[in-house]
This record gives sequence, C-alpha cells and structure tokens, in this order.
Amino acid sequence: MSTDNHRFEQEELMAYLDGELPTDRATAAVAHLERCAECQTLAADLRSVSQHLMTWEVESAESPMGTQIIEALEQGERKPTKTATANAASQRVGFMARRWVWVGTFAVVCLTIGVGLRRIWNNENQNLQRATGLAAPRAAADSNGIFHGLGSAGKSFSVDGQPIADQQSRLFGPGAPPPAGPINGRQFDKLQQFAKLQNAPPVRFPDSASGPMIIRTAALTLTTKDFDKARASLDDVLRRHRGYIGDLNVSTPVGSGRSFTATLRIPADQLDVALADLRKLGRAESESQGGQDVTAQYVDLQARLSNARNAEVRLTDILQHRTGTLGDVLAVENEISRVRGEIERMEAERKTLSNQVDFATINATVSEDYQAQLQVVPTSTFGRIHNAAVDGYRSMVEGVVGTILFLFSIGPSLLLWCAILFFPARAVWRKVRRAP
Amino acid sequence: MYRAGRRPAGTNTNMTSDEALMLEFQLGSRAAFEELFARYREPLQGFFRRRLNDAGRAEDLTQETFLAVIHASSRYEPRALVRTYLYGIALKLLAAERRKRVRNAAQSDSEPAIEGATDVVLWVQQALGKLDPSEREIVMLREYEQLSYLDIAELLRIPVNTVRSRLFRARLALKGWLESEKTRDRSVIANGAVNGAAVDRAGHDEA
Repeated sequence: MSTDNHRFEQEELMAYLDGELPTDRATAAVAHLERCAECQTLAADLRSVSQHLMTWEVESAESPMGTQIIEALEQGERKPTKTATANAASQRVGFMARRWVWVGTFAVVCLTIGVGLRRIWNNENQNLQRATGLAAPRAAADSNGIFHGLGSAGKSFSVDGQPIADQQSRLFGPGAPPPAGPINGRQFDKLQQFAKLQNAPPVRFPDSASGPMIIRTAALTLTTKDFDKARASLDDVLRRHRGYIGDLNVSTPVGSGRSFTATLRIPADQLDVALADLRKLGRAESESQGGQDVTAQYVDLQARLSNARNAEVRLTDILQHRTGTLGDVLAVENEISRVRGEIERMEAERKTLSNQVDFATINATVSEDYQAQLQVVPTSTFGRIHNAAVDGYRSMVEGVVGTILFLFSIGPSLLLWCAILFFPARAVWRKVRRAP
Repeated sequence: MYRAGRRPAGTNTNMTSDEALMLEFQLGSRAAFEELFARYREPLQGFFRRRLNDAGRAEDLTQETFLAVIHASSRYEPRALVRTYLYGIALKLLAAERRKRVRNAAQSDSEPAIEGATDVVLWVQQALGKLDPSEREIVMLREYEQLSYLDIAELLRIPVNTVRSRLFRARLALKGWLESEKTRDRSVIANGAVNGAAVDRAGHDEA
C-alpha cells in the first residue's frame, strides 16, 4: 500500500484502531476505511495480530497480601507520618502554591539582605562618627564628579579652629597623607558621610521601617452578559475604593461582542476588596496576582537620597563660609549642581516607587458574552426597488462622469496622435484604393 | 487494541479513582491501599509473568511493587495516573531482576514460556521473542497492559511518535511472522493430506 494515494498513513490508521486519534481524525479515518480496500486489509491484519497476542493469557493466582506489606502497613498506621499528611495537603494546594512559597522565600531573603546591609551601613556611620567629631574637609569636584582633596592644592584651610590637614588625617587614617589628585570610590563615600555627619539630621527611614514594601499587581479577565452595566459598575468600584483608571481601551467591533481593557490603580489595602467587587461584574475567565518586594530597593534609595541631601547642605555651607580660589569655588558649585540633579532624580524614583506600592495595579479585561441577533423582518419590496433605482442612477452618473474624465485625461494625447497619424493614414488608404 | 470501550482495571469511573485512593492512602487509609491492591494485583502479576519464566518470582515482584508503593507513598504526586506510576515501579523492579539474572546467569527470560501453553501461545511467545527488546516492551505494554501511547512514552521516556512508529513496526513484523506461520501450517496440512491419500491408495492396492 503506497501512502501517496492515501489520506491516511498506515501508522495513523493503527492509531485510529487503538483509539488514539482525536475525534475529527477518527471520523475521517472511518470514512476512509469504508472505501479503501487496502486499508481494510491492513486493519484486518493488525486486528488479527492483536487477537493472536491476546491468546496468551496468564492464570492469576489468588495470592493474599504479603506479610511484608502487612507489616509495612501496620508500621504506617502506628506512626502516621506528618510528612505524608503535609505532602498530601501541599499537593492539593498544587504547583502554583509551591511557586508562591518560593517567591515568598526569595522575598524574605531579599528583605534579610536589605536589613543586614542597613545595619552594616549604620555601624559604619557610628564608627565614623566616633572616629571624627570635627568639621568637614574642604573638597571640590571636577566636572566629572571626581573629588580633589583641597589640601593638595597647597593651601591651608581651617574649620572650627582646627586645621583641615588634621581632619583629613583623622578621616583617612592616622598619619595618612591627604589624598593627592583625584579621589573617588570609597574616599568619595567617606567625604560624603563626613559632610553628612557635620550638619545634617540623622538618617531616617520612615516608610521602610514600618514593614515590607510590596508592589502588588493583579490581572482579571471577565465575561459579562450586560456590557453596559459592567462598564458603569467599573466606575462605581473605582469610586468606592478611591481608585482611578490608568488606561482604558474600549472596543466595539461589528458582528462580535464588545470588550474593554482597563488598567486600574487601586489603593493597595483595598486590592482584595476591589477584586472581589470586580469579580461580580461577570464570569471570571482567569485571574492572577503578583507581588514584588521592593523593600531593599526602597531602603537603599532612601539612604542614598539622605546622603545626597546632606552632601548638598555641606557643600552649600562650604560655598558660603569658606574661602578659596575661583577654581575651588567653581568646582564646589559644579558639585552642588550635580548633587541636586541626583537628588531630583532619586526623589522622582522614590515617589514612583511609593506610588507603585501605595496603589496596586489591576489589569482588567471585560468581554461581552455576545449573542448574534437574527434579523426577523426583511426589507420591504418597495424599499428594495427604491434602493435598486438609487443604485442604478448612481452607477449611470458614475459611468458618464467616468467616461468624461477618461476622455479629458487621454483626449489631448489622442488628438495629438490623430493629427500625427492622419496624413500618413490617408496616404496609405488612397494607395490601397488605387491598387487594382 | 481495538477495544475502545474496554478500560483496564482501576479506571472504573463508578468507583473512587485510583488517584483519590492513593491520596487517601497517603493520609493513612489502609482500606484505600487494600482497594488499590485488589485492583492491580492481577494486572501486575500478569505483567511479571509474561516477562519472566518464573511464576513464583512474578508473585514476589508483584508484592515488592506494592511494598515500594507503601515506602514511597509520601513522595507520590498526582501528576501521572496511578496505573502509570505502578507500571513504572514494576518496570524498574523488572530491570533490576533481569540485571540480577544476567549476573547470576542461572536463568534466561529471553523467551518466557508458560507450562501447558498451546501452539498459538507458543507462537506468540516466539514471535515476541524475535522482536527487538524496545519494540517488544512497547507491544506488550500496549496489548497486555492496555496503556495508551502517552503512558508508554512517559514510562519509557521516549517521544510519543517514537512509540507509535515502533509499535507499528513491531506489529507489521508480527503480521509477517503470522502469515509465514499460516503458510507453513497449510503446507504441513497439505503434505499430511497427500500422504494420507497415498496410504489409502496403497491400502486399496494391497486389498
């Protein structure tokens, strides 16, 4: 049997006989089998093979449960394992729950690392505060944001009656020379910390200390029979929970159901209640929720922001109360400008993060349970005649106008060619007529 | 094959499903295990007896399969059918048994034979013995254990299409041997008839 002339491969036919084909293919296979003699033969052969194989039957011995099994069962009964119970429970919860456990574990690890880093940061601050207790060193930065030790410029500055060289020696280590040339990295951080400790209030983390910061998101897909009511109810839900629409797209295609997709922003503490209300708008097709722990990120941002503000205050103070060369003054102004830019950027980032935490995002998709309408009343005969007449008139006018337009568009060219070809054509014609 | 309505033991929808029984057993229900034992003792025994030339050992391995289920019950997850799970354990025990036999070299199960087998059964055993081991296992899992292509693929860790193609190849090979066997039988019968006629003629001549 060649497979070229058959819509079904032999293996597929076998799969049909085994009941392994999907319904549509099985139906096609039945139809094919009825009219294809070769496939009928193959089917008969395969059946025959199967019947022969099934002649091998084994006798079943009525053996009871073995003693080992009974003992194992009794042991299991004596001490029912908590593990088995826990496993069964966890299996009922399913794969999704396990995934959330992993996400939760990851979040806890991140939180722990964040808290640990903060403690390390605080310890460093305390150590620095203990080691110093003096005014800020004069520092400036070049246009690339790299600090230069002002002491290296060969001038001697004093702050609060103490020479800057002493302060630098305390800051960078006893006996250590002041940094010559550009300083960066850890030295830059130390300078900023130093500046902060002089005038700025202690660093506070007002929001992060209260608990983890989670950006919550949810997605909900609904099908509703009353689309208009669902749309109106959506506004009610938003009003009730003090939320707002971030984005809304309504689609009303002809011949199918309407739908809208909305990005809703709801206060995070209202998310669960709002979701419950949204589910009432229709039949929930799918739902998912997610959460992103940004506590560590927020803490880090707060710390950097606080440092930058302190640095700004200190630099302003240096600019107002210290003297130096014009180059030093310009360098400090450049640094102030850069620090202010950073503060604004971090402030915006912090506000965005806070907003995302305070307001959960719900991506809601609501589709209409569309039912096609049957047009019961046909168009009247008079109406059809009228429409036909209008169509005829329109096509006639369009034909005439089209012809005129055509003539106008090619008329000049046509006249030109007629004028060119007229005399040669007339000469040829006359020759033809004169010919015997 | 060709028994679309027939379902193997343990999948009767009127009863509690195997998976539900397994979960109940995980929670400590002995009755659930006894029900599973009742459902699968005979199929598993058949599984081992068709593959080993030792009824007693087949019985032992059946018991060992259930013992393994008890020990591993806490790790069971209802991702696959219990039937597939049980045959997976059985296949592992069978492989271990075969390795042991190879080491001992005491017995060979390459051509398992059942005492008192008819000619047809002997032919079936011989024909299956001629098949490639991978194809033989697929044919037997399909024909005797009534596993679906997907279940077989999961058990043997091969793609479903491979299962289908190997099964088809094996069945065609079996069909070829069946036809040659029939031809041989016919020729034997024909030879017997000719010999009988000759004997008859000789008798008549003697008379």
